Amino acid sequence: MKPAAFAYLAPRDLDEALDQLAEHGADARVLAGGQSLVRLMNARLASPSVVVDINRVPGLDALAVTNGSGPATLRLGATVRQRTSELSADVATHAPLLAEAGAHVAHAPVRSRGTVVGSVAFADPSAELPAALLALDGRVVARSRSGERTIEADDFFTGPFRTSLDPGEMVVAVEVPAVGARTGSAFVEVARRHGDLPVCGVAATVTRADDGSVAGTRIALCGAGERPVRARAAEDALTGSDGGEGAVAEAAARAADGLSPIGDCHGSADFRRHLARVLTGRALRTAIHRAAGEATDV
Amino acid sequence: MSTVEDRPTTATTGSPREGERRWVGRSVPRKEDPKLLAGRATFVGDVTLPGMLHGAVLRSPHAHARIVSIDTSAAEAIPGVAAVLTGAQAAELVNPMPAFCAEPVPQTAVAIERVRYPGEAVAIVAATDRYIAEDACAAIRVEYEVLPAVVDPEAAMAPDATRIHETLDSNVAFHRTLDFGDVEGDLARAHTVVRTRARWHRMGAQPMETAGAVASWDPFDKSMTVYSNSNFHNFLPWAFAGMLGVSTNRLRMIPCAVGGSFGSKHFITKVLAIAGALSKATGRPVQYLEDRVDNIAANDNVGCDRIYDAELALAEDGEMLGLTLRIIDDYGAYFQFAHGQHGNAMAQPTGPYRISSLRYDVSCVLTNKVQQGFFRGAGADPGNFVLERLVDKAAEQLGIDRAEIRRRNFIRPDQFPFKTPPGNVYDSGNYAAVLDKALELAGIDDWRAEQERLRAEGRYLGIGLATCQERTGYNASEWWFLYDNPPLPATSTPESVKMDVDAMGGVRVEVGCPLWGNSPETVVSQVVAEEFGIDPADVSVTYADSTTGAMSAGPGGSRLTIMLSGATRGAARTIRDKMIRIAAHAMEMDPADVECVDGTFRAKGAPGTSMSMADIGMRAHLFFHDTPEDESSGLVAVHTYDHPYSTPPSADRKDMGAFYPMVSHACHIPIVEVDPETGVVTLRAYYAVNDCGTVMNPTLVEGQIVGGIVQGIGAALMEEYRYGEDGALDTPTFREYLVPSMHEVPEIVVEHLETPSPFTEYGVKGAGEGGRLVAPTAIASAVDDALKPLGVWVDELPMTPERVVGMVTDAREGRP
Amino acid sequence: MSETTSTAAPEKVRVRLTVNGTSHDLLVEPRTLLADLLRGDLGLTGTHLGCEQGVCGSCTVLVDGTATRSCLVFAAQLDGATVRTVESLGGVDGSLHPIQRAFHENHGLQCGFCTPGMLMGTCELLERTTEPDPDDVREALGGNLCRCTGYQNIVKSVCAAGRALAAERNGAQV
Repeated sequence: MKPAAFAYLAPRDLDEALDQLAEHGADARVLAGGQSLVRLMNARLASPSVVVDINRVPGLDALAVTNGSGPATLRLGATVRQRTSELSADVATHAPLLAEAGAHVAHAPVRSRGTVVGSVAFADPSAELPAALLALDGRVVARSRSGERTIEADDFFTGPFRTSLDPGEMVVAVEVPAVGARTGSAFVEVARRHGDLPVCGVAATVTRADDGSVAGTRIALCGAGERPVRARAAEDALTGSDGGEGAVAEAAARAADGLSPIGDCHGSADFRRHLARVLTGRALRTAIHRAAGEATDV
Repeated sequence: MSTVEDRPTTATTGSPREGERRWVGRSVPRKEDPKLLAGRATFVGDVTLPGMLHGAVLRSPHAHARIVSIDTSAAEAIPGVAAVLTGAQAAELVNPMPAFCAEPVPQTAVAIERVRYPGEAVAIVAATDRYIAEDACAAIRVEYEVLPAVVDPEAAMAPDATRIHETLDSNVAFHRTLDFGDVEGDLARAHTVVRTRARWHRMGAQPMETAGAVASWDPFDKSMTVYSNSNFHNFLPWAFAGMLGVSTNRLRMIPCAVGGSFGSKHFITKVLAIAGALSKATGRPVQYLEDRVDNIAANDNVGCDRIYDAELALAEDGEMLGLTLRIIDDYGAYFQFAHGQHGNAMAQPTGPYRISSLRYDVSCVLTNKVQQGFFRGAGADPGNFVLERLVDKAAEQLGIDRAEIRRRNFIRPDQFPFKTPPGNVYDSGNYAAVLDKALELAGIDDWRAEQERLRAEGRYLGIGLATCQERTGYNASEWWFLYDNPPLPATSTPESVKMDVDAMGGVRVEVGCPLWGNSPETVVSQVVAEEFGIDPADVSVTYADSTTGAMSAGPGGSRLTIMLSGATRGAARTIRDKMIRIAAHAMEMDPADVECVDGTFRAKGAPGTSMSMADIGMRAHLFFHDTPEDESSGLVAVHTYDHPYSTPPSADRKDMGAFYPMVSHACHIPIVEVDPETGVVTLRAYYAVNDCGTVMNPTLVEGQIVGGIVQGIGAALMEEYRYGEDGALDTPTFREYLVPSMHEVPEIVVEHLETPSPFTEYGVKGAGEGGRLVAPTAIASAVDDALKPLGVWVDELPMTPERVVGMVTDAREGRP
Repeated sequence: MSETTSTAAPEKVRVRLTVNGTSHDLLVEPRTLLADLLRGDLGLTGTHLGCEQGVCGSCTVLVDGTATRSCLVFAAQLDGATVRTVESLGGVDGSLHPIQRAFHENHGLQCGFCTPGMLMGTCELLERTTEPDPDDVREALGGNLCRCTGYQNIVKSVCAAGRALAAERNGAQV
């Protein structure tokens, strides 16, 4: 199980990286943590002719909170390790869901090397972090030689391991708006073993209004479709409700509406739909509880 | 009640009583550790020879296909590629793989004309490194004509099913029904007959190190040297020689340190043939080491794959009368080991119970999957699962407590040696005492209280119980006695050591078995230390290659500690007796008055004059005139310990004879919590009481048991080969085929009871497979207990989240 | 995915790295995995390959102090890096490192194939957490598979190693 031959490029800055990506287009793959890419290359499921190693590009390892005119934004550069994100005080404060989901990703040595952006760009439909980004209403910052654009998470994931990135384009960061007041979040999953990709996972955020009703919610599922998907029927069912057990049950029951999961040896499509319902209920209960806690704190 | 006609010869007399032993029974630190801890042990992947090439294999993506054409020209053109061989080309260099079956099911290491399972080798490559060898594989063009894949074993049995082998009339390669005792009578007089249809899916050994070989062909000598992680280099080297096309006296097989086997590396004929063929084709040494996909897809490390229709007949008071087992076993595409797994199961099908009749009906079915080999449990594992499920069900139906129904039916201590319906003999045991100790160890009442408390919260805690046999120390008859006319009715399973005491008194032992992850060096050193009264740290142990004449069936069937104890003690006694004679001669005493204590030889009861090991060693090696007249120089002994107690099967096969008579026993009590909504089963605690006779080394035995239990957790909850409808293997890597990690393992508490075997040296029995032989059914029992309020009955493993949710749903909707 | 049957081998990459205290200046093929560099070119066969998919952890080594799957890193990436393998533990006289000793005393290994990865993972853990409890051990080593031991004695070994090293440090301070 050894990779096919490739040319190795280690750009010293972002412009050089973008030049190389532009030159080699679809033949090139960006190497950051490599915890998925090298695995695929070893199995020869990926055989890029050029590998662009961005680990020596300065500035990409920044994890920062920016406070512009609007609400604060958490920004994670392309080489920020998952372990760094998971342990970051800024992430814990502004996007605890990202840390909670991140703790489920594989095992510590993999997270020490693997990057948050890499997981997002890899777009495994079962992976935790893409779902978390979706639930957090995050954005992907993509750069190419022709410039930078921001892609909403809702528009980024297009299929299994497919994204709306163009050839020659790379993700330089992901951005997540800081969670506001009276917002709670939760990530729950069922994995065959601790550290495995989930059979199904649910990332949820719930914001409660002053009167305690649900002002808004985003529910994102992994392992339940061809890409990380929003459970929009469940979101609709919960939004505007009192957030009580009845409403949660109603939302959970609708969590699998319209889903077409990919069945495999870890769970059939039907079982994944079942888990989507069960886990959505659980995630929402916790998120609502946390939102209430937030509310009482405020 | 039947009796044992042929009592075995008793073990060596004069053994010190338990309390007098100094080294047998102690947790002597493992001698094998330091080199392994330092990363300095030589595994087969660490072997490098000058000019060595690396092999790789192109494998079939199809379960069943005709090979229309193979174009290797592009592969051959890649710089660094030394040879590319198709099946037909390989067949000119090496012979088909040896097989134990009587049926005409030929198998070559590289397929010719037709592939019969996904991952079967189609072409092989040798190149200067593995990367280039894989480049070459990728450049080979194969045209296939895909044939219908036979995946479901029951469908495979239909007369019109696609035939896996044209040489057979049917995909049912073997079928036999055997009745032992009055089966019909027991069914007729039963008050209750409990039935189950149970499913045990195929799992595999999955050692962390894959199988591999380095073969080096010498075209001038016509000789071959092979490094490998096989076990049978000192048992069946002639079979390997035949396959490799080398005369038996020109094949040298050198054992390497082995990174786990669990039964999967006995024979490894595929890797040996592949490395051998490539070495012959290139005239250079070739290393072929499976990668993980090679190993999962094509190593013969797959265990049983059975469908059971089983019945247990009981009297009203719960007395077990008879057992019937109708088994369909999916053997995959080839039949190399024949039905050995059923011979094995025949050692203990009626478990620890006084069941007087047995019907065993087995169909061995061929399908388009990799063939079965051996994996820890070796055929007895599903038998334990089904029997204990039936016993739990009987307890439920008759309203008898689970422990009580077992207690009522256990073979009693005064009934040993006990002859089972199929003929195998159990040596000794005290099953009720093991059960009582386990119930106490688990603190069963506290767990019942906890179960009540959690049920009130809507949580599902379950307490499992299983009481099972572990047959240990096999005799070769199990391979063939299901045949009336076996092709090779062998009856030997020897184990030998060569021991010498040098002129300075140093003790060296060469063992015939390899280092397979167990502890032969430690066990041998303990026995030597026991017999001479020296420190085990001072004993040197090395491993014999196949040219020394050592005979060794090696580790397998939980036999090694039994057999090595016997071989080592035998050799030690021979040398010690000679040393006593030499010492007596020197001290002008009668040998009968000399004893060996603490490594010195002295007058019995009068420890004045004495001679050291070195004194006698020097005398034996250099002072021929100072030794007794009829003694030759030197202190060397080869001792071959044969199976301590085996009898042949009867011609009519109404009695299979004693073939696996050292029988350990265990009671396991796992505690689980089940989430019926997600199907997730979590182990909370695990208790095991084990009786494997005299415990040679408590720390090492506990290590075997805990390791086996964790493999059993895998069997219960996650391990499974899965195939798609088209026959594709859906679990080709460790991302799909799941083995337990640290996170799935609770605290495991192990205690022992010691009922010595009357058949073996020191009374030891085996302990290598017990954990895995008991844990799966014990955990099934625990899940049942947890979900009893929902009416769930577990009859299929592994209990994946999806299966558990399915069982809960079926129970809720009243489906069987 | 493009099918590449490139005729010319890609340019080799210069890598200067330190392995177990010895510096090396090497030209490596881009695709050479760190595990194969260690096992092949450098002859450090104590690092074992169990799956080549990053799933089993047998090949774990320390790269700049961080436990890393050497099957998922290209040697070409490691210019300037410091790598430690199992061969760096223990002495040339056969003496065992306290972590190795703890595994020996607690029967934390059987076949020994996964052991080097376990030991290197333990090295990293004990740098961060001086006296880990079993949960710390599972968090750090949970991705390292062992098929022999059932893990119980590995967890025990690591906890014991932490205590032994802490005692050694305390002893040194006194």
